[in-house]
Amino acid sequence: MPQSTDLLQGTLDLLILQTLALEPMHGWGVAQRIQQLSKDVLQIGQGSLYPALYRLEYKGWIRSEWQITENNRRAKYYRLTQTGKKQLTTELATWDRLSSAIASVLGRATEAAS
Amino acid sequence: MISELLTRLRFLTFRKRRTELDEEIEFHLEHAIATRIAAGMDPAEARRQALIEFGGIESTREQCDRQRPAWWIGTVMQDVHYAFRGFGRNPLFTISVLITLTLGIGATTAVFSVVDRILFRPLPYSNPSRIVSVGFVHSVERQEFVMGRFYVEWQKNQTPFSTIAAQSTMVHNCDLVENNPVQLNCISFQASFLPLFGISPALGRNFLPEEDLPNGPPVVMISYGLWKGHYNGDLHILDRLITVDGHPARVVGVLPKDFQFPTLEEADIVSPFALDPAVQQKVNAGFGDPERVFARLKPGVSVEQAYAQMLPLFNDDLKSFPPSAKSETHLSIRTLRDRETQDVRPVAWVLFGFVLAVLLIACANVAGLMMARGAGRQRELAVRSAIGASRGRLIRQALTEAVVLSFAGGLAGLVTAQALLIVFDRLAPTGIPFISKAHLDLRIAVFTTLISCLCGVMFGLATALQKPRLAALNAKTSMSRNHAFLRRSLVTVQIAISIILLSGAALLLRSFTRIEEQNLGMQTGGVLTVKVALPSWRYNTSQKVMDFYLRLESSLRRLPGTRAVGITDSIPPGGWQSDFRFADLHVQGKPPIPPGTGGTVVGRSVTPDYLRALNIPIVRGRNFADQDRTGDEREVILSRLLAERLFPGEDPIGKLLLPGAHISSGAGAIVVGVADNAKNNGLTEESDPEMYTLRRSLLDDWSGNHLIAIVDSAMTMAAIEPWVRSEVSSIDCTIPVEMEPLNQSLNRLADRPRFETTLLGFFALTGLVLAVVGLYGLIAFMTTQRTHEIGVRMALGATRSDILYLIANDGLRMVLVGLTIGLGTALAVSRMLKTLLFQVSVYDPLTYITIPLLLSLVALVAILIPARAGTRVDPAVTLRAE
Repeated sequence: MPQSTDLLQGTLDLLILQTLALEPMHGWGVAQRIQQLSKDVLQIGQGSLYPALYRLEYKGWIRSEWQITENNRRAKYYRLTQTGKKQLTTELATWDRLSSAIASVLGRATEAAS
Repeated sequence: MISELLTRLRFLTFRKRRTELDEEIEFHLEHAIATRIAAGMDPAEARRQALIEFGGIESTREQCDRQRPAWWIGTVMQDVHYAFRGFGRNPLFTISVLITLTLGIGATTAVFSVVDRILFRPLPYSNPSRIVSVGFVHSVERQEFVMGRFYVEWQKNQTPFSTIAAQSTMVHNCDLVENNPVQLNCISFQASFLPLFGISPALGRNFLPEEDLPNGPPVVMISYGLWKGHYNGDLHILDRLITVDGHPARVVGVLPKDFQFPTLEEADIVSPFALDPAVQQKVNAGFGDPERVFARLKPGVSVEQAYAQMLPLFNDDLKSFPPSAKSETHLSIRTLRDRETQDVRPVAWVLFGFVLAVLLIACANVAGLMMARGAGRQRELAVRSAIGASRGRLIRQALTEAVVLSFAGGLAGLVTAQALLIVFDRLAPTGIPFISKAHLDLRIAVFTTLISCLCGVMFGLATALQKPRLAALNAKTSMSRNHAFLRRSLVTVQIAISIILLSGAALLLRSFTRIEEQNLGMQTGGVLTVKVALPSWRYNTSQKVMDFYLRLESSLRRLPGTRAVGITDSIPPGGWQSDFRFADLHVQGKPPIPPGTGGTVVGRSVTPDYLRALNIPIVRGRNFADQDRTGDEREVILSRLLAERLFPGEDPIGKLLLPGAHISSGAGAIVVGVADNAKNNGLTEESDPEMYTLRRSLLDDWSGNHLIAIVDSAMTMAAIEPWVRSEVSSIDCTIPVEMEPLNQSLNRLADRPRFETTLLGFFALTGLVLAVVGLYGLIAFMTTQRTHEIGVRMALGATRSDILYLIANDGLRMVLVGLTIGLGTALAVSRMLKTLLFQVSVYDPLTYITIPLLLSLVALVAILIPARAGTRVDPAVTLRAE
């Protein structure tokens, strides 16, 4: 099992928003999707996933509703709201600025750009 | 099979009421398990792995709960609830803290609100620190004044001021003649006066420059009080003609509600000053009328520089002064604040010191109590910590308690402060400026509350911050001794401070009784003073004035029970009276007295029965007699002090005083008698020598129309007052009469020292109560802490008196140390009280013996009560309790 990387503060929110931007999903799906997309590098501890989902919902960036899954099970699906979309755009911009800044400090500006 | 397993799992994991979150987590777990089983894992192992991967379900649930925006309110409520339960379990502690906070916050806020205006608050003018009072000062007049003739020149030639403005020296009575005539106070100032102070009228406008000229159009401004009271706040007051002293004048403005004259006088009607240089050259022997002058310093000019710049002008003016007055007249420029607050400042500083001291005691008390409670709770804290409370949670709990207590104490303190301010206002004599304007200042309230809370929180936290050790769980090792030294020092300091406060208050009390008991040199009981001010616009000749007062005198003499009636221009021992310089007296056949020596002499112009009415004994020669009024010679009576000064070792009777001060003209006056000294310079100041001149039935002797009749009567004051009133109105029914028994006005003179004594006494008592509460609390606490030790000692054979001695000894040592420190400090700082004391030394031995004794006695009681409770310990019970 690859060493899981500690997530930066606030990065989890960004990942969740990005994941939900594709399609509405339940908590398990969000965790799976992030793990798949990061090729198992990012493993979301469930201890932090659900608090993060609740936090984002209280902030009004995502909304939840109960739906029936393909297996006929009731599950809570989260979807991005209008404000959530805007927030995602700003967070992405912030992330780009931050990561390129960090990259140039680390002297890897060219690699990051390529 | 899988679903059966999952159902079982569901009931295993979620036995509580299912929530949406529970269902979500359950869904998650089902998927996690299903994925693992699909990957070929054994179902039981899959479940195990999934649960491990998920981590703590309960903690996830809590974490999610915490995301709720206001989740912390719930925990605060929980803390508050817990705090209240704690207070209920420990009422002695709670009540002690509350009393301390209430008294401490209440008293300090109230008094600070009062002194704040005197010491720290800017005056209610724009940029008040740049306003100065400027003028001459003189041995007789200590407040700056300028004679009209010089003011005309100053206005033209002064350089240091951007504005300069004059106000008439004194308010004078004036009549508002309307359907219901009233007597009011009138004053006048220049058109530049209000702009100088940055004040604009509440209604209407200021005087125009052309109205401020001699013979300008008659206009007035009226006070807010008159507008609201007499005219019911009528908005049509502007441009209305009102008749003041028989002359119509147009109202152009209303002064602001909170406007305050820089002289702190009260006036209802203001007219333009209308300075007339031509007139000022003539009146008052060519000097012009005295006036009060205020000015605003130019930017960058200091008071000292202004003084230097004004000095040449002043020296010019001095050349025209009579030689005798030159050396005694000086130029003075001081800030308005100095002028307004100078005579109350010593009291204000002493009060301020008392406030700080009481606040210090209160803080020490709260700190001591909180520390004691913290030490007593270590076991409880250790238990809470052991069952999982985080340190942050414990600290928050301690903070919550401190805040709840402070909030309650602060609230009670504010109520107390408001009540105290009302009491102060009632008690306060009229002479203390600003006190009626003092109101509860929230900034101060918040400040004092914060200070006392800070003490509580700091010391409350001191114990909470220590990580509760497991050792505290088995209470055999008490950790209370950690802070024992600090707590003891706090109590010692409290005792020391209360000694200082108490001895200060006691000195003032002694001084006050001295004032009350002193021999005034005259009788005050059974004497009625009747002030009759004649309006000068109707009584415009000396003839009319003399006729009125002589008729009044004879009709008062006819009243039943009257023993003597005197008419005078002033009454001792306080209030306005005419002063003149000792050096201006000329005795026939003696060299003139060198100018500038001898200080001032009080001159009183009286009718023959004045000394009889006040029962001032004649020690030599004779009293005035009725036939002296018509004689050709002018008679004077000297006070014993003046006689000794003027004629040391000689018989003053028959000596002739040449015209000069107080004896205006004619051939001079013959000394016919010497009267005993009577107090004439207020209650506390050293008396001045005094000269009584006789008011003969000559027009020259009857200038002035504010005279006072003194009636010595065998009847009660209440009985003769209506008679006097009807006698006055039978002569002229429009004249207002002010009557007051002499001892009542004397009582008023003592108001100020009484007020100061009451205030400081109250403070000292507050301090004492707080210190005793602190001492009692500490001894009680230490006794409880030592219950186990006492039990052991008693089991080993110690008697009750041994135990009592053990505990009391501890407390008495603190008291003794506190007493010593306090006495030393009190003796060192008592010099600050010197200006407030009358005939009492700042090292008054009686005070410094009584107060420590008193305090020791109270402290002994505060120690013995809890100590005795400690001796009632039953050794069998305490030993088994562990």
